[in-house]
Amino acid sequence: MRLFAWQWLATSSLLFGALAVNAETRPQYGGTLHVAMHAALQSLDPSDPGQADSFARRNLSSLLFDKLVITDEAGRVKPSLAESWQASNGNQRWQFRVRHGVTFHDGTPLSAEIAAASLRYANPSWTMTAENDTVVIDCKTPNPGLLAELSLPRNSIVRRDAGKGVDGTGPFSIVEWQPGKTLKLATEGNYWGGRAFVDSVEISMGRDYRDEMTALQLGRADLIELAPEQSQRISQQGVRVASSAPMELLAIVFSREVGSPEEKLLREALALSVERESIRRVLLQGVGQPAGSLLPTWMSGYGFLFSASADLAKARLLRSQVHSVPTWKMGYDPSDTMSRLLAERIALNAKDAGLSLQPTSSATADMRLVRIPLASFDPWIALGELSAQTSVPPAKTNGGSVEELYAAEQAALATERLIPLFHLPVTYASALRVRDWSVRADGGWDLADAWLEAGTP
Amino acid sequence: MSFRRKLLTVFSLTVFVSVAGVAGLVLAVTRHAFEKTENQRTAALVAQFQREFNRRGDDVARRVEGIAASDSVARMATALNGTSADSANYFDLARTMAESHQLDFLELLDWRGTIISSAQWPAKFGYPDNTFDSLTASSEQGAFLKLEELQDSTALGLMAVRTVQMGERPVYVVGGRRLDKSFLSALDLPPDMRTLLYQNRGDRFSPDWLVDPSSTGNASDPTHPAERLAALVDAVRRYNAEMSGIVDWSGNQADQEVFHAIPLRGAGKDHPLLAILLIGNSRRPYVELKRRIRDSALLVGGGGIVLAILLSSWAAGRVTRPVVQLAHAAQDVAAGNWNATVEVQGSDEVAQLAKSFNRMTAELLTQKERLVQTERVAAWRELARRLAHELKNPLFPLQLTVENLVRARTQSPEQFDEVFRESSGTLLAEISNLKGIIGRFSEFSKMPQPQLQPVQVNEILRGVAQLFQAQLQAPGRAAIACNLELDERLEPIAADPELLHRALSNLVLNAMDAMPNGGMLKLRSRRDGANVIIEVCDIGSGLTREECERIFTPYYTSKQHGTGLGLAIVQSVVSDHGGRISVHSEPGKGTRFVIELPKAAVAVGKASFPHGFPNHPQKTDRFSTY
Repeated sequence: MRLFAWQWLATSSLLFGALAVNAETRPQYGGTLHVAMHAALQSLDPSDPGQADSFARRNLSSLLFDKLVITDEAGRVKPSLAESWQASNGNQRWQFRVRHGVTFHDGTPLSAEIAAASLRYANPSWTMTAENDTVVIDCKTPNPGLLAELSLPRNSIVRRDAGKGVDGTGPFSIVEWQPGKTLKLATEGNYWGGRAFVDSVEISMGRDYRDEMTALQLGRADLIELAPEQSQRISQQGVRVASSAPMELLAIVFSREVGSPEEKLLREALALSVERESIRRVLLQGVGQPAGSLLPTWMSGYGFLFSASADLAKARLLRSQVHSVPTWKMGYDPSDTMSRLLAERIALNAKDAGLSLQPTSSATADMRLVRIPLASFDPWIALGELSAQTSVPPAKTNGGSVEELYAAEQAALATERLIPLFHLPVTYASALRVRDWSVRADGGWDLADAWLEAGTP
Repeated sequence: MSFRRKLLTVFSLTVFVSVAGVAGLVLAVTRHAFEKTENQRTAALVAQFQREFNRRGDDVARRVEGIAASDSVARMATALNGTSADSANYFDLARTMAESHQLDFLELLDWRGTIISSAQWPAKFGYPDNTFDSLTASSEQGAFLKLEELQDSTALGLMAVRTVQMGERPVYVVGGRRLDKSFLSALDLPPDMRTLLYQNRGDRFSPDWLVDPSSTGNASDPTHPAERLAALVDAVRRYNAEMSGIVDWSGNQADQEVFHAIPLRGAGKDHPLLAILLIGNSRRPYVELKRRIRDSALLVGGGGIVLAILLSSWAAGRVTRPVVQLAHAAQDVAAGNWNATVEVQGSDEVAQLAKSFNRMTAELLTQKERLVQTERVAAWRELARRLAHELKNPLFPLQLTVENLVRARTQSPEQFDEVFRESSGTLLAEISNLKGIIGRFSEFSKMPQPQLQPVQVNEILRGVAQLFQAQLQAPGRAAIACNLELDERLEPIAADPELLHRALSNLVLNAMDAMPNGGMLKLRSRRDGANVIIEVCDIGSGLTREECERIFTPYYTSKQHGTGLGLAIVQSVVSDHGGRISVHSEPGKGTRFVIELPKAAVAVGKASFPHGFPNHPQKTDRFSTY
């Protein structure tokens, strides 16, 4: 009897242990995911033209809103709120059949009219109509890239209600929103794509990168945004780090067009003076790729044709052809330490070439050091959005050959309106209790399968 | 200037000079004392600066040593000696080490002097440190000064260098702290002193490089514009030596500061001038004390002068009163009042002088009376002689005539009637002659006083010339030419025209007598200051010196038929007009009489008459020329 008891106890313990182990690896519902972000968003409207594009904005939009179509990591278009679509008239007329049974967070059913209104708000130049459960978009010219364009965050389907802000059909709904500070989200149990595992998400914004790291180490954050130069060191400390493809362009953008041939020479000299490789190796700690082109090589296939190497001799030669050299002011993001260091280093390089560059945190500057997220895997979409953000003459956005893309990019660079420096990935660090979470190649969060291990952070 | 005023001036000057001398002496002593104190305070402050410099330098050296001995730097040095050394991994090391060791500056250099990591200028990684040679020379030594170049400025640092040798290739740790406002503020400054630090940058003085712990931010103090220090700073830079100078901030002396500029040199072979320590010492206490001394001196001096004036006035009065009395008495004597005496008080030298003066005037009076008596006797004798001479001539014919009558009565009675008739005529003629002589003497004794009125001298002269024109050219005698040289600008004078006419007529007659063989008579008039000059010149036989001296004496004449009263009357007329007559002559060279008449004549014994002469006395009688 005693032996049986001992055998039963041992068997029970083994069974419990096996169940417990199985329970740890199996997704669990519940818990609050704490996110710390460097960005400080002032608006949740994905189509708000006053808000600069950023990965943070894209990710928050993906939690709150859905688009008609989405693209996977291979760039393939997949249905989302549009169950199906059909192009006609040589890709000039597009019809999208809206998914049935989808409701906004306030219970309002999704309709073709609401979807059309949302798209019309984001794209005032488009012609679109709602017919029953179909949204019809009539393009002025054949537009084979419309699907990729519809997958952009700004084309999220939003119901705008005066006085109540925006509402979406995404997997999370807004519980509390303090612009620039905190955003609390609750999981939508009836989300048409399936309920997320976590119950809620709390996002704190405007955090310094160091504060974010401290919060992660103290267990006060589950998911943080990392500065590029932090990723290598953080990963060496055993923290789980995930990066996207180099989807962000770090560049010098001039505030105005080239005013004279001499100025063009000076801008060329500046582009040639920057030691990108040295900066990447030391300041960026090996992260990113030196860039001489707007689009990364992995996206365009020809990026290596644009030299990213410094040529100080040539820079000095160009400089010597100009009699009077002005003192340029280079603006940088004062909240970003790396931005200041980059500006100072570029100023040093420029000084070696005989140029005068003064870093400044002031809003008024002759040029600014900016980070521009590439909008899409589609190079035409990415180049078009980038041109729009940097005031470079717009490139053709409805698709074309690689040669045409190269020519368009070369033309954009020939304006000397911006100097590409690096293509950087967007990097996140997550706590160990966050499971099945990953970063897509475009820098988006994939929270569909993410779940939290038991216990509070 | 009177003796009394001289005495007052001497007293006042003495007081003023004494007070000024004392004040100057006090000021000099004060300045010397202040300069001495200032030098002592400056020396103390410099010593304090040096102590603080050494203390902080030792602190910096210890901190740099601590960094050099840290595991992190040791690992880095070891890694950089390896084959796959990558300095990029240590890019941020200097910043973290500087923060942990509280250093403002920290750079990690590799064996070639290339910056591996920089706390003060992180972006400068990979660039060579331009001061590497001097830094390696200063390794393992104490702290030194270094001008640290930053992104957009420069800063003066108290630096130390340590070498980390973990293989063949050493690593250098260069760290330090700013020598800035906080350093200067840490100095315990005496009142009215301050310290500034000028970073030696550029070719010319720039206010941007001046570190002033009292200033707030970068705003320049408008009351103390830094440009005023430019001259002193430039002088130190030029001569690379300690210097001093006074800086005038506002034109007010109290705002001036004496600055001692001490060059601060860095490490290296040439010991470059990196900064200048400026020790300012306010002159306000000295200037205020100087002002108080000056004000006191002025007050004391002014009061002293006033007191000196009062006292010296009293003393001078006592001293000079007898002298003044003597002076007045002397003036009275000079004016003819020979009875003047002074009061004798005391027995000092002035009293003796007064006694002597009184004796002198008494003696003069006595002698004058004797002289008057003598002259009176002489005059009577002369008068008697002249009178006897004048009377003797008619008396002798009278005597002869009477004797002829007596003789005729006794010897020729038949002819007596005829003789009587002839003799009576002679007697009457001589008696008439006697009466004429007596009449002329009587008229001379009754010389009238001049009746003054505005008179044109030139008119008188022309009248005289016209009067005698006929006689001068009279047939039977040699002609005399009359030449008038008159100043037409002469203004009228106060004179009696008739007396003046007669006097000039006498002179003309005298000239005519002097030129029996003809000649030239000149009548001149001219102005000489406040006087009118009249000259009567002839080219006659002239006079001897003795004749010139006696020619105006009454009854003296060199002529056979003269009475000797003509020129005496001329002198009397001129004298009665307040004028003066003189004669200039030599034998054979003619004679020149010069009459000086005042414009506003003062008749002797009468008040002067203004132009118009209302109520002037009536003329009494006239007299003829002699």
